[in-house]
Amino acid sequence: MKSLREGYYNSFFSHIYVEKAVREHPRVQAILAEFPSATIMEIDHYKDVFCRRGQDYKAQHLAQKLILAEKSGNLLYEGAPVCQSFGNPHFYYSSLVMNCIYDCEYCYLKGMYPSANVVVFVNLEDMFAQTEQLLKEHPLYLCVSYDTDLLALEAVLGYVGAWNAFAKGREGLTLEIRTKCADKRYFACAEPLPNVIYAFTISPQAVIGAYEHQTPSLAARLACVSLALCRGFAVRLCFDPMIYFPEWRRHYGEMVRQAGASVDFGRIADVSVGTFRISQEYLKKMRRQEPDSAVVQFPYQNDRGYYHYPDVLLDEMEQFLTGELKKYVPEEKIFRWR
Amino acid sequence: MIYLFTALYKEAGGLIRRFGLVKNTENTWFQEFYSAECGIRLAVTGVGEIAAAAVVSAVCARYRTAGRAHAPEDDFLVNLGICGGTAGTEGIFLCNKLTEQASGKTFYPDMLYRHNFRECGIVTGMRPWDGVPEEGVPERCLYDMEAAAVYQAGLPFFGPHRMAFLKIVSDSGAGEAVTADRVIALTEKYGDDIVGFLGRLAAIAESEGRERKPAELKERLLWERLCRELHCSQAMGRSLWQYIRYASLSGKDSASVVGKMREENYLPCRDKREGKKCFEELKRRLL
Repeated sequence: MKSLREGYYNSFFSHIYVEKAVREHPRVQAILAEFPSATIMEIDHYKDVFCRRGQDYKAQHLAQKLILAEKSGNLLYEGAPVCQSFGNPHFYYSSLVMNCIYDCEYCYLKGMYPSANVVVFVNLEDMFAQTEQLLKEHPLYLCVSYDTDLLALEAVLGYVGAWNAFAKGREGLTLEIRTKCADKRYFACAEPLPNVIYAFTISPQAVIGAYEHQTPSLAARLACVSLALCRGFAVRLCFDPMIYFPEWRRHYGEMVRQAGASVDFGRIADVSVGTFRISQEYLKKMRRQEPDSAVVQFPYQNDRGYYHYPDVLLDEMEQFLTGELKKYVPEEKIFRWR
Repeated sequence: MIYLFTALYKEAGGLIRRFGLVKNTENTWFQEFYSAECGIRLAVTGVGEIAAAAVVSAVCARYRTAGRAHAPEDDFLVNLGICGGTAGTEGIFLCNKLTEQASGKTFYPDMLYRHNFRECGIVTGMRPWDGVPEEGVPERCLYDMEAAAVYQAGLPFFGPHRMAFLKIVSDSGAGEAVTADRVIALTEKYGDDIVGFLGRLAAIAESEGRERKPAELKERLLWERLCRELHCSQAMGRSLWQYIRYASLSGKDSASVVGKMREENYLPCRDKREGKKCFEELKRRLL
């Protein structure tokens, strides 16, 4: 049944919508060259396609389209309260790419964006300029892979490499590249820098299989982490979001043991632990779109506009995982989201 | 169900015969044909944006309301018809961009599904196209008098992922006679392609409908009875439903959990206060 269903859908990025203003941009040309058989359509503004009424995120994710555009106005945003800031007072994120090629059922992007199509802003240099401007005012902790997985798109965009080059020698700037990607090619070639942290989301294989569709396996992620550490990259392990499911304790315990066996925790920059939480607006939309998803339909507790697991369960889950991690990592390196 | 809209009867005649569609005689102001077996409802809108929008709205408002036998998500809207075309456009096309000439607005149907047609943008105008270059009409495009209106009228009912616009080029706007016979001949010529496309949409609808796991009736009944037994307020009832739904999705048999609680005399509760306590226990057992 699965192959028949897949056969119905157009291929990934079968159609590419390009804003007229950036049609001749060299980065647009380079991206289009990666998809020679795609149908190219010129549009006035990315919102003409991305913000249409009545879109179905779930259906669109089965045949995602690419939108190439230019971002104007403010390009850097202050981190939201649900984000882990790791104690950094000037915590910002950028949104150079909107949406992700992975399809995690619990992902907040499903509640945040009206469309599952991937928007890539090609004016990376403007982002660099704003970052430099902000650096003149204060140090900056900047997450550049928040509303997407930049590393998963690296073969097409090369944005992680570009940020890495930008960050080299820039005092006061710390970058975080959040990813579930396990593509070792990047880590085999790129230059490790102390101020660029690669934050790998690590989940039990049971969670990956059930909810993190199209993402690499736990073993593949851990192998990639190992390579990155061997090559001297700064690596963070994010056990966040923890997902509740029957036998969660056994699976999370097994995951930590598996990580401990394959990763040199002594070289890890730090780890983060946090259970799933989300704004009520996003969850409301996700529940409409994913009526059959257990992780989305879980009866979360609502506290001042944010849904999370019931307090007792939340504490039990985070305590358990922190306890398991303490066997491998000193406590001061474990960040628990509050 | 596939909702087909054509401007002219001549564009629809071939499909009415092929699918054995039966006329709905209840309608007096537009022609409507259907076949429950084939899952097709076809309406002839008349020519022009206003006529098309009026009929699409009428059909959708009548049949696309809640409680019908088919889940709304399983339906498609297809606009089929002849159109004018600039140089280099001959044959049948699936439209990937609709432009309303009067307002300059553009609309983009999702191109989610594989198909065997060429794709092209279409401009929808208020009067027949005469082939003279006009503002808002690109060098290479199709031109009709309904597509953008059908999209706008259909959008509240279908969404851009459930609408398709199939157009057959009949003329270049240079004064060629577009006779009834030519319209029939063109729709016949591409009849197999059109039927193949509709068949594919029907298969997609069926496949996607099968994959959905709507809340079962027994879940609803269990919830309703529990609401009474626990003396639930509205908010508590909503919360209870979320627990039952989650239990079902995560493979837990909530009916047996509740059954056991009845055996243990937790249920039914005497009053609201006892109901709240019992609900806490139920929550613990359902997770």
